Formats: sequence, C-alpha cells, structure tokens
Amino acid sequence: MNRFSLPNLGIGIGLRTTHYAHVLEQTPEIDWFEILSDNYLHTRGRPLHYLDRVAERYPIVMHGVSLSIGSTDPLDLGYLAELKALRDRTNARWVSDHLCFTGATGKNTHDLLPLPYTEETLRHVVSRVKTVQDFLEAPLALENPSSYLEFRESRLTEWEFIARLAEEADCALLLDVNNVYVSSRNHGFDPARYLDAIPWDRVVQFHVAGHTDFGTHVVDTHIGPVVDPVWRLLGDAHRRAGGASVLLEWDAEIPSFEETHREALRAREFVREEAA
Amino acid sequence: MTDRLPAPVKGADGAAFVAERASATPSAAVRRFAVVSSPVETPLPVSHSLEGMEAWLVRAITGPESEASRAPSYLTDGPRMNARERLEVYRSGYRARLVECLEDDYRAFSAVVGHEAFHALAEGYIEKFPSSSPSLNYFGRRFPEYVRGVEVPGFPGKGAFFSELAALEWAIVEVIHAETPPPLDGNALRSLKPEDFATAHFEPSEAVRLLRFEHPVNPFFQARWANGDESATVPGIAPSSTAVYRHGMTVWRMDLTPAMTRVLSALLDRVPIAEALGRLGVDETDPSAIAEAERSVMVWFREWVSSGFFARLVT
Repeated sequence: MNRFSLPNLGIGIGLRTTHYAHVLEQTPEIDWFEILSDNYLHTRGRPLHYLDRVAERYPIVMHGVSLSIGSTDPLDLGYLAELKALRDRTNARWVSDHLCFTGATGKNTHDLLPLPYTEETLRHVVSRVKTVQDFLEAPLALENPSSYLEFRESRLTEWEFIARLAEEADCALLLDVNNVYVSSRNHGFDPARYLDAIPWDRVVQFHVAGHTDFGTHVVDTHIGPVVDPVWRLLGDAHRRAGGASVLLEWDAEIPSFEETHREALRAREFVREEAA
Repeated sequence: MTDRLPAPVKGADGAAFVAERASATPSAAVRRFAVVSSPVETPLPVSHSLEGMEAWLVRAITGPESEASRAPSYLTDGPRMNARERLEVYRSGYRARLVECLEDDYRAFSAVVGHEAFHALAEGYIEKFPSSSPSLNYFGRRFPEYVRGVEVPGFPGKGAFFSELAALEWAIVEVIHAETPPPLDGNALRSLKPEDFATAHFEPSEAVRLLRFEHPVNPFFQARWANGDESATVPGIAPSSTAVYRHGMTVWRMDLTPAMTRVLSALLDRVPIAEALGRLGVDETDPSAIAEAERSVMVWFREWVSSGFFARLVT
C-alpha cells in the first residue's frame, strides 16, 4: 500500500473513443478506466456526455498531458481549475501528469519535452508540484516520461531527479515501465538502476504499453502488444511496490475492446509470477 | 414562399471526435522519422538557466533550422543518434501532431484539395498561428480566416470557397463541443399571448450556428464528403445559408431559404418574436401572401423549436 492510501484498483485500460459504444452497451467487466483529461477539458458537449455515462459505471483515474509542470511559464490556473472540476465531476480517484514541460515563452508544442535535470530545475518543479497539490487538495501523481534527447547541462540522472522530487514535493508517482525501457534504450542505461532508485511507497500506479523500435531509437508509440522485457519490468516493479493499479495504454491502431482488455489482463501472469 | 423545410442532413460529423486529440505519444510522422545529416552548429552563446534552455528547445522545435542546428551546444549525443538527430524526433513530431489535428477537423477540405496541398496549407497555418493553449480542441479555429487569405494549391482563385468549406467544418466542431439545452418548455410557448410576441424573445442554444455563404457549400459537402460523390466539383458563386446544430448526440446540417435565414437569424439574435417574424419580407397588401407566410413560419418555428435551436423563452 502506498503512503497516500490510494487504492489498488486492479487492471485497467485507457478509455478511448473507439470503445465508447462497446463499453456503454456491453458494460464489460473491467476494473477501471484511465481517461486522457485533456480530451474532456475545453468542451461542454459530446465528450462529456459519454464520459459521464462511463463514470457512472466504472472507477475513473485522470491522466493529463498539458500540465507542463516543468515549464518556466506561469502555471495555468484556469487549466488547474478545469482539471479540478473534471476530477469532482467524474469522482476520479487521482490525477496524474508527466514530469516534463510542453512549452515555454507562451508557445505550446503539445509534446512531453524532457527537462534538464539540475538543482535549479528540481527547486522549480518541487515548488510547482506543491502549488498544484495545494490547488487540487490532493496528491498529484507524476509519470516518468519517455525521452529521445538529454541536455548537456543535466547533473542528475532521471531516476535521481524523480526520487528527490517525490520526497521534496511529497507527491505520488506513476511509474511507466515502458517509458523506463524506451528511455533506457535511447540513452543507454540499465533499467534495473532506475528501479533501484524509486521510492516505492510513493508509487500509486503503473503504465505498460507497446513501443516501436526503429533501430536508431525506440519510440513510445503505444501501439501493439507489450513486449516481454517490459512485462518483466512491471513484475519487478509491482513486487517492489507491494502492488499498485496497472494500466495498459494502447493509443494508435487501436484494436477491439476485447483484444485491448485481453492484453491488459496479461499483467496478471507477470504480477503473479513475480509475487509468487 | 414555401412552408417546407429542406430536410436536414447528418453524417460525416464525427471526425472531430473520432481521433484522440490529446495524447502522450508522438504523432504518426515520428514513426516515419527520417534522420537528418550534417548538423551545423552556429557559434552563439548557450544559456545555462532552465528558462533559457526551455526557450531554446521550444525555438529549436518550432522554429527555423538555424535554431535546430545549435543542438550540439545544448544536447548530448545518444548511443545511436547525434544531438541534432535526437532533436529531430521532437521537431518533426511537433508539426506532424498539429497537421493531424487540423486534418481531423477539416477532413472534407483535406480530401478535396489532397493530402500534400492540405499539408502545405496546414504548415503555413501552424507557422502563422502557433498553439498557445493547453488544449488542441480549438487549435484550428482560425483556419477558415487563414485560408481566405492564401492561395489553395491546385485551386487558383477559389480561396473564398475553401474558406467557407472550412467554416462549415469548423461549425461542426464547435457544436460537437457545445452544451445542448434541455428541451424548451412547450407550455411556456403555448401560453404565450399574442401581445407577448412584441417583447418575448428566445435565448439561442449554444449548439446552433447559422452560416451564410457566397457558395452552395453544404450541398457540395454533402455530395462530395458525406455521399462520396467524386464527380461533385467545386461550385461557383451562388449564395446559400445553412444551420449547423446538434440535437442529442447527432450533428445536423439544414439548408435554409433566404426568408428562413432572415427569420432565424433574427430569432438567434434575440430579436423579439414579432419583429423577427416581420423580417419575412411579405407583401403586406396581399392577404393571401400574409396567410401563406404565417402558415410557413409556424412550420419552421415548430421544427426549430423541436430541433433544440432555442434554450429558453424570455418574456
């Protein structure tokens, strides 16, 4: 159990528009759904209609891509207010986003840009996380991003940065084991060293996903089945954390709901195997 | 004058919400990522502050090659890619993501002008109107305005038509995201006394747009996009009006005659009902014309009310 007493919801999948009809008509047995928060902000129409109906039936967790927690631009309080309202509307169990910045100088790239891991960045992000948590009146879970570049100026490894951030900001962690794997391939580190540094009592959720290997680099595409090395990382991480909610992300070339759910349930093999 | 409303049409309206707009993954183009070669470093001062590094990375991703070529000063080489190549993953992803977003919103437009021409237009738009909002839902809102001012590749002199086609598609996006009101209280409407018509007006639904065009845009959209008729050609000038609205979860498009347009426009502008009906333009010396107009307008009125055009009656 994590230090925030957030529940282990079991095995869920990301709620995607292509599955709405199946979910609402068939009411499949699934533990929970994660939504991409940003798809339900800045709208008062159809997306919210469907979300309300799903939230009536299933536990929801909110996962965002636009908080831009590392940006030196001011925090967008309007965005935070919308996030909080959506959390209350859906009774979301927690809210997460990424350790990254999405834009600066008023321009938004809509991508999860890696930060330079320095003492200055750490102080900046710790301060912002505290502000967000005060605003939300709840712990924020931050996810380790997949990345394709590193700053020369970095003085800390990503895992050192995340461990210190979590402790100093007193925030929760969403550990994406596929991102650990992808970044380890792109930057040449040992994923086990990453896991060794994680403060496990802060991990409230895991992400697993497929990726695409281009030879020169590996991209976190969220396409296709999860590869065994990533499942094994999940098993290891799950054991170290003493269990936490697991979520499969499948965001492109999305198959049927049943196939997506079947892939998510494969987590049971690795989690049980490691726990035994 | 006719009391018949053109049958509203639906379909081809879900594009704006079929694709997942926000995503934690790079866009499709990143998967087709082509490695650039021969990085050239420009000897300029390098910022060591967080603010300076973030500002540079955003410029390097969204800006010209001169900024990107400074990658070796800011970034490390990886096991298999150099700094400039690593930057390219983000640089190509930025444009691809926004082009995909515009293509979702303007699917008919893109299909008509073709993939390459649309990409060229979209890239120009991204350059002129970079995103500053955390949401991508409204990134494309100024595309109709942008298109009016540029040449559409392959369609010289047709910028005005394509701007209107874009405006129709954008109206669909807007009504998808608009809140629909509960059905209008029929009792309130029936209990309206004749003398109330001089002051009572309607509050329009958020989910209705009345569009006036210089071209028959909706018939073209219906033929070419919704019905897949490849023989439908870009039309010439012929003014038209279309109401785009969402009723329940379905988006509808209803073509309107000039008389209908005048009345509906006034009603949506919160003009008192009597004054709005007076904009029919009927010859008031002809009793039969007045009678026919009254019949027609009541048919339209009932249809608009039952289609959810109005949120409430204000007396």
